[in-house]
Amino acid sequence: MTILRSLTKILSIFLFITLSTSIGNQVNAQDGKALFSQNCASCHAVNKKLTGPALAGVEDRWPEKKNLYAWIKNSAAFLKTGDAYANNLYNEYNKTAMNSFPSLSDADIDAILAYIKTVPAPGAAPAGGAAGAAAPAEDDSDSTLVFGILTLILAVVSLILLQVNSNLKKLSDDKSGIPAVEPVPFYRNKAYIAFIAIILFIAGGYMTTVGAMNLGRSKDYQPEQPIYYSHKVHAGVNQINCQYCHIGTYQGKQATLPSVNVCMNCHMAINEYKGEPLVRENGDVVDGTAEIKKLYKYAGYTEGQPWDASKAQPIEWVRIHNLPDHVYFNHAQHVNAGQVACQECHGEIQKMGEVKQQNDLSMGWCVNCHRQTKVQFKDNGFYSIYEKFHADIKSGKIDSTKGITVEKIGGTECQKCHY
Amino acid sequence: MNKFLAITFLTAVVVLTSCSDVKRKPGSIYMPDMAYSRAYESYDDHSKLKEKGIHYDARPVAGTIARGKEMPFPYAQDAAGDTTNYTLSKTVPNPIDSLSVVDAKEAERLYLINCGICHGAKLDGNGPLYKDGNGPYAAKPAALVGDAKYENMPDGQMFYSVAYGKNLMGSYASQLSKRQRWMVIKYIKNKQAVAKASK
Ligand code: HEC
Ligand code: HEC
Ligand code: HEC
Ligand code: HEC
Ligand code: HEC
Ligand code: HEC
Ligand code: HEC
Repeated sequence: MTILRSLTKILSIFLFITLSTSIGNQVNAQDGKALFSQNCASCHAVNKKLTGPALAGVEDRWPEKKNLYAWIKNSAAFLKTGDAYANNLYNEYNKTAMNSFPSLSDADIDAILAYIKTVPAPGAAPAGGAAGAAAPAEDDSDSTLVFGILTLILAVVSLILLQVNSNLKKLSDDKSGIPAVEPVPFYRNKAYIAFIAIILFIAGGYMTTVGAMNLGRSKDYQPEQPIYYSHKVHAGVNQINCQYCHIGTYQGKQATLPSVNVCMNCHMAINEYKGEPLVRENGDVVDGTAEIKKLYKYAGYTEGQPWDASKAQPIEWVRIHNLPDHVYFNHAQHVNAGQVACQECHGEIQKMGEVKQQNDLSMGWCVNCHRQTKVQFKDNGFYSIYEKFHADIKSGKIDSTKGITVEKIGGTECQKCHY
Repeated sequence: MNKFLAITFLTAVVVLTSCSDVKRKPGSIYMPDMAYSRAYESYDDHSKLKEKGIHYDARPVAGTIARGKEMPFPYAQDAAGDTTNYTLSKTVPNPIDSLSVVDAKEAERLYLINCGICHGAKLDGNGPLYKDGNGPYAAKPAALVGDAKYENMPDGQMFYSVAYGKNLMGSYASQLSKRQRWMVIKYIKNKQAVAKASK
């Protein structure tokens, strides 16, 4: 009995010790995570090179723990000791100075190092179930094809039925002794010819008119761009504001496309694509990481080196929305003064993989909107000069619920849009 | 009869299948001189104007300042490995003493568009791209509110970092004018003061 009791005692003590040390380790690593995130994460990641090296396995690279403490507390001072490894590293990182952390104790640094060890290597973590999550929606081109084939079959069936009908008539005529008239082939049948002529006339006329109206218009235009740059990834999933890139919309006529340095603001740190699979309109799968490498080529950027912006080449994006020269369109007038959302004119850009022109940009489209849209008269300094309208709204002459449309302030006068 | 049927069927199939619904070419045009301008438009290649005998330079004349604009920043960007100008920039004061109500709103708008995506709407260095290290942007943006280092950072040094970039943060000189940059920094300083006062 006593033996058993002492055995359990020993066991429980043993358990207690192992448990407490492992918990202690965990607390240590957790502290380390906070310290790392607060002090180091702006320059270091565990498995990825940022401003400084990836820190995984760093303890193996620094055999002397003492030196590692000294380096982290004050790297500039440590460099002066002439340590070869540290100086090589410093030169390799283009003499980027690491901050000094005099307030970190050895224990703090141990905590950080413990945390670094707990982070799994990139391949080890199970990949999220992104694959297969986004089964492409049923294509509507398929349904048009189905409808077309159905109509065709119906047409063939009705033709056959007509033929059967006339054959039956002939048979019954034969039986009742009516002399068979030499049948007129259908291509010489006057009724047939007239019918087909009318159909051709209507269809031809319709197609010519539509074609003529669409001359110079490019609704649904969706060109292939030099880089597969997805608005869905940037403006949709990652919520980047349109005006981060299209700076001009608030101040000027042109929306402006971002130059390479704007892309590089983020892509110096984001060098691979890990999001949902990307698919082109025709079904081809796009490798996002390879597209980012294309961006690096334009930017003249080699990963791991500091970026020299003067080496960048412009990316020649294909222009999509383009009004003829005789029309004046100003973005600031609509986005800033008029407070019209981008999506009203460009559609749901934040859901598009490749940009597509949503509207035909015809004169009718502009004018219709100007007839229907109310200007934001209230609290908008831009319209304070329309004193009469303000007075009329106050005195009730103009129904304030109906408000002032763009047309009322002259938005349908020719010279506002045509030079 | 059979021949006729076969021909209609074939043409229908060809017409139906050749109509891809992805439109890779722009519409046709009957007055191309207006659609594709002969004048220089904003996205034309402007690189060889000189060779074509066009003498146009959009940059201001060296040494001049437009009326009503801010003075240029007195320090140039440091060479790699040097921090002299970065340190010197601490002495440059913010030309904007305080933001009017309208300017404060505008500064907030600019901050949310240009900086919030990384530094967070709350300025805590935890914007949607970083998300505690789970977002796609791997480097932790500075916690502009809540980190004493940045709360004590003078306006001028912040301006240096926003204008020239700092390590992985790029330059915002092409997106924000000088005045807008100072406005955003004033906005950050105001937020820091509020956070400090409520502590
Ligand atoms: C301002 C950016 C910056 C910060 C913040 C920073 N480092 Fe560094 N670190 C660097 C750079 C750059 C290097 C490469 C050597 C050089 O250029 O000085 C480096 C190198 C190192 C090395 C040597 C790596 C190797 O592969 O041998 C260690 C270890 C290290 N840092 C730890 C830390 C720790 C721990 C912290 C946080 C307490 C930290 N660093 C914060 C920029 C930084
Ligand atoms: C990260 C930068 C970025 C963001 C954010 C962004 N865009 Fe773009 N946008 C681009 C680039 C680059 C192009 C040119 C390539 C293309 O057409 O796909 C472009 C093209 C466009 C075009 C077509 C231009 C043309 O040639 O006619 C429209 C319209 C547009 N963007 C609207 C938007 C809207 C609306 C938003 C916000 C929901 C937005 N963009 C957000 C970078 C951006
Ligand atoms: C504000 C930050 C930001 C800016 C600016 C930015 N990107 Fe991105 N980019 C991202 C993020 C975030 C991802 C997604 C990474 C992921 O999910 O792993 C991404 C992914 C990509 C991808 C791969 C996915 C795809 O869309 O094909 C490409 C290519 C890309 N960016 C090109 C560009 C180009 C070109 C520009 C400049 C017009 C640009 N980016 C500007 C943040 C940015
Ligand atoms: C009232 C309708 C309307 C609104 C609102 C609008 N756009 Fe446009 N956008 C147009 C038209 C029309 C064009 C073609 C302009 C031209 O050819 O001169 C265009 C062109 C563009 C272009 C390519 C050419 C250029 O000017 O750089 C981009 C990029 C663009 N818009 C982005 C945006 C963004 C981002 C917003 C929201 C902040 C926006 N647009 C809001 C109608 C609009
Ligand atoms: C989604 C609705 C919408 C569409 C589409 C639209 N506009 Fe407008 N437009 C407005 C609003 C709202 C204003 C009022 C802002 C203002 O008063 O300046 C305005 C104002 C204008 C003005 C200034 C009018 C004035 O009195 O100062 C011009 C010029 C203009 N639009 C041109 C165009 C052209 C050209 C197009 C077509 C390519 C177009 N707009 C398409 C909504 C629209
Ligand atoms: C709200 C802006 C707006 C107003 C107001 C406006 N237009 Fe237009 N107009 C346009 C746009 C946009 C186009 C280009 C249509 C296209 O490319 O299909 C156009 C095209 C035209 C064209 C055809 C040119 C061509 O190449 O097809 C004529 C002619 C014309 N406008 C005359 C007028 C006259 C006359 C008025 C006054 C009664 C007027 N417009 C008022 C926006 C406007
Ligand atoms: C793409 C992400 C990103 C955006 C957008 C961004 N920053 Fe940063 N910012 C960073 C990162 C990362 C750091 C940390 C750099 C370092 O210390 O290595 C930083 C650091 C800073 C610092 C401290 C610099 C120093 O000297 O230590 C300031 C100030 C700052 N950002 C202001 C801004 C302002 C203002 C904006 C908007 C105009 C902005 N940032 C937009 C990523 C970003």
